[in-house]
Amino acid sequence: MIYFLGKLLHPHFGTLSFLRLAEYISARAIGAALTAIILTLWLTPIVIRHLHRKGLVDQWRNTGVDAAFDKAGTPSMGGAVVVGCVLVSCLAWCNLSNMFLVAVLAGMAWFGMIGFLDDRAKARFHSGDLGMSEPKKLMLQGLFAAALVALMLGPWSPLPADQMGAFYVPFLKFPVFQSVWAYAPIVFLFVIVVGNSVNIADGMDGLAIVPSVFVLGVLGLFGYFLGNAIYARYLNYPLLAGAGELAVFASAFAGAGIGFLWFNAYPAQIFLGDTGSMAIGGAIATACVVLQQEVLFLILGGMFLTEAVTSQIQDKIGVRWLGRRIFMRAPIHHQMQHKGLAETKVVIRLWIVSGILALAALATLKLR
Amino acid sequence: MEIIRRVLLTGGGTAGHVNPALAIGSALRSEDTEFMYVGVRDRIEEEIVPREGMPLEFVRAVPYPAGGGAKLPKFFLDLSVGVGQAMLLLLRFRPDVIVGTGSYVAAPAIIAAALLKKLWLLRPRIFLHEQNAVPGKLNKLMARFADKILVTFPETLHYFPKRKSELVGYPLRRRIAAIPREEALRRLDFSIPDGRRVVLAFGGSQGSRTLNHALIDALEYLIPYRDRLYIIHGVGLYKTPEYDAAADTGERLLRQYDAMQLTSIESFYTWRPYFHNIQHLYSVCNMVIARAGAGSLNEISAIGLPALIIPKAGLPGNHQVMNARAMERAGGAEVIYEQTTRTDGRFSEALDGKVLAEKIIALALNDSRLLQMRLRSRAFLNHDALPKIAAIIRGESPQDAAPLPRYTPPPMNSTPEDTSLPGNQELLTRLEREYRSQGAQYKPKNVVARAEDLEYFKSRANTLLASASWQERNLGVKLLGLLNAQEKLPTMLALLAERKRAPFLKRLFGGDYNQVGFIRRNIVMATIRLNVLTPDVESALLGGFKDPYYEVREACALAASHFNDRIANPRPFIQALLDILGDSNLDVASAAAEALGKLGGKQDALAALLHLWDAKYWRLRAAALRGLLHLVERGRVTDWRMLENRVPQFILTSTDFRPHFEIKSSYQLLMEAISRKKETTAPQ
Repeated sequence: MIYFLGKLLHPHFGTLSFLRLAEYISARAIGAALTAIILTLWLTPIVIRHLHRKGLVDQWRNTGVDAAFDKAGTPSMGGAVVVGCVLVSCLAWCNLSNMFLVAVLAGMAWFGMIGFLDDRAKARFHSGDLGMSEPKKLMLQGLFAAALVALMLGPWSPLPADQMGAFYVPFLKFPVFQSVWAYAPIVFLFVIVVGNSVNIADGMDGLAIVPSVFVLGVLGLFGYFLGNAIYARYLNYPLLAGAGELAVFASAFAGAGIGFLWFNAYPAQIFLGDTGSMAIGGAIATACVVLQQEVLFLILGGMFLTEAVTSQIQDKIGVRWLGRRIFMRAPIHHQMQHKGLAETKVVIRLWIVSGILALAALATLKLR
Repeated sequence: MEIIRRVLLTGGGTAGHVNPALAIGSALRSEDTEFMYVGVRDRIEEEIVPREGMPLEFVRAVPYPAGGGAKLPKFFLDLSVGVGQAMLLLLRFRPDVIVGTGSYVAAPAIIAAALLKKLWLLRPRIFLHEQNAVPGKLNKLMARFADKILVTFPETLHYFPKRKSELVGYPLRRRIAAIPREEALRRLDFSIPDGRRVVLAFGGSQGSRTLNHALIDALEYLIPYRDRLYIIHGVGLYKTPEYDAAADTGERLLRQYDAMQLTSIESFYTWRPYFHNIQHLYSVCNMVIARAGAGSLNEISAIGLPALIIPKAGLPGNHQVMNARAMERAGGAEVIYEQTTRTDGRFSEALDGKVLAEKIIALALNDSRLLQMRLRSRAFLNHDALPKIAAIIRGESPQDAAPLPRYTPPPMNSTPEDTSLPGNQELLTRLEREYRSQGAQYKPKNVVARAEDLEYFKSRANTLLASASWQERNLGVKLLGLLNAQEKLPTMLALLAERKRAPFLKRLFGGDYNQVGFIRRNIVMATIRLNVLTPDVESALLGGFKDPYYEVREACALAASHFNDRIANPRPFIQALLDILGDSNLDVASAAAEALGKLGGKQDALAALLHLWDAKYWRLRAAALRGLLHLVERGRVTDWRMLENRVPQFILTSTDFRPHFEIKSSYQLLMEAISRKKETTAPQ
């Protein structure tokens, strides 16, 4: 909104020339971050009390972890605050006609909605294990993944026409292949897997939000560099005109994330819930796809992937098929806790790990 | 009243479905009625129906596939072919009335009739008869197409829409009636001495292996009562290479008893492959031992005989069990459940002869109980089913035709558990919930109120142990543990010792044995739950310490802790615990450390536990400290100076702590105060 206002007004009114700033990504990024952080700090306490009154609180869940750390009764739809504040901040500061941004916002909103339906079902059935059915969730996620693939291969794709179907791998200058038929299924699966990975990591106070800020922050930087003609040429990337808008989005998210951490830090007053973790997963997945950095997520989101993979191995291969545990507990943060680490310690260690991974991912920008 | 010219009968697969259909057909018969029977080729209807002089046509039909899934497309294909064939038959015959007696055989004709009705091509009225207490899957599905569903048991009514269903009873083909006892005695080809209580045992025309075996085994315990009992045993006509009822019975008698025993057995026991006039036997006997097929139970109830029923387990909807329970609840019968047992690595259904004998003695020699059961048995079911069915089909008011049955079950709204039993999974959830909330005071009785139900659940859980899927077997083990089924422990220990390797693919991913890790762990945990320590359990636990799956080793250590000084020879246990103290798995090592404190002494455990002072994980160090505490409290260590020197060495830094939430304890205190005060002020 401010972007459009500035663009519209400053050429005609000399006194409003400061609005020229609105054309600079850096200025808007700072504005977006500040807006989001102030909004979350202001709104979250209001929402916490509201959720308590409505009874939309976290339900007991069978995780096999000691009940002394019982957290039942903490409101769980904090993700709605994060998503809402990011959306408001983006409406204010972003160029809403930018396809990069629209795709990522859509991913966040759609996955957030799936998570919200799940949260509501859990609160209604008073059970943390009985949410929306898995096939139903996968169907809704698949719907978005298919739409995103169609967008990337269609006439409204944010990518330049010669990049259609190109698939990049970190450390390599050229796409490993450029084929619509190979690209479509890979991206489809990628969106579903990554979209769910944050949800699995969201099991301890502050565990999901900080690494998400790292991941989206790095993706924002990628957007900024790849959308900038000079940097893109210098780093030997194809120029993705307009990708810089994702830097504004990422700052808005970082602001909202830090504001949320204020309340979500141990011991948490509010959880992300499925609403938040799914929304973040959706945003990360979409951002990776529009920036052609799918494989980068193996490094950048290594923590999320480990969480998702350990939990799936334990459940699908171990418990359901072999009839034994493969890890003592899964996902990995429960394993660490089971081996005798306090929750706070587990969370901080995983923050450190994800920070290192984020730096490693950033290094691939130059190393190719 | 409508004129019925053409009647189409359908249903089959077993005689239990064909006979009711034929019975209803005969009740509708008049001079100008035409009949058509729709069945499936190579099924029993091909044999029985032509004998009645009824035209028989065939359609394609297959049972609903048990596993579902991949077999479903084929099922639907076969069904559509069958429906197509049935439509042609229906258009040719143009019946006024269609009567289906269930099973998959009836499905094509009923669906075809429903379709033609929708298309306004035919206007037949459709009737279904359900023989069993639990309707079959297809009958439940077909019910929506039927004009009326006629049921045998009052318990069945609630499965169907109220206005469509009607309690009629079972259409017996032949009129079963008792004849005077003296006359019946004269007609037998053997003689029964005076003053005996006569018990008739039979497992239907084909016979029942479980019943035959159990009865022969029971004779041993019945010999002392030979002056007061007489047992007549119909073993059945079943004859396949695997089991030949008559030959097997003869052999088993000779194998099990010596000449002297056989002489005394002959004085009170006689067996025949088959009885051609079972009415005569019904007329002389004081009680019956039978399977729970709807036909058998209806015959027994028609005569009004007390019955001891052994329902066949594992049939669709467990309908024999439900039939038997219906009669038991009406007071006309007692039920014994067959048990899945494991012999030579294979599972089979069996019934303990001793259990059967005890039950026979308790019932047959208790005259007042027999009399009471006789009256209740007679009142159990409606015995004028056929006139009533005919009246309903003809469109007459059913009240004119037959009186209402005298026995009515308790109303459905009392408690749902009364008539519908929880499935295995549901039962486990309830038991686990109770176990979690009650802890040491847990009793399965709080969840399963009736002792008869408890027996049934145990036998049902027991059958799961023979399942091909490990998930089912695991469910069975968990249920048996929570149901306090101590008598099933040997079977579970046999599973634990089986050690049959898992398929290669599973081993590649970390699987080990066919009885998967969870099953083995749960069996060991069940020994703790059941609190039984036999030499067999001890050797099973000692084997478990070397199990490849860590949770089994851990569970064995927990069991060692639990049984501690009840273990007859703790030496090998202590050695095994010392071995797994260095286990790479933290859970195993911790459990072992604590168990050593409960079992060991100064010589063995003390040094090993003190040695853990600098273990990497605090949980292991904490377990060692708890183990030392047990040693001290058991008075096994008295060297205080040494302990005071060595224990402070322990590394006490920890990476974990327990948060204390002030507000949660305030809340707890308040809630406790409220419930305390409530109790003291409650009496007013």
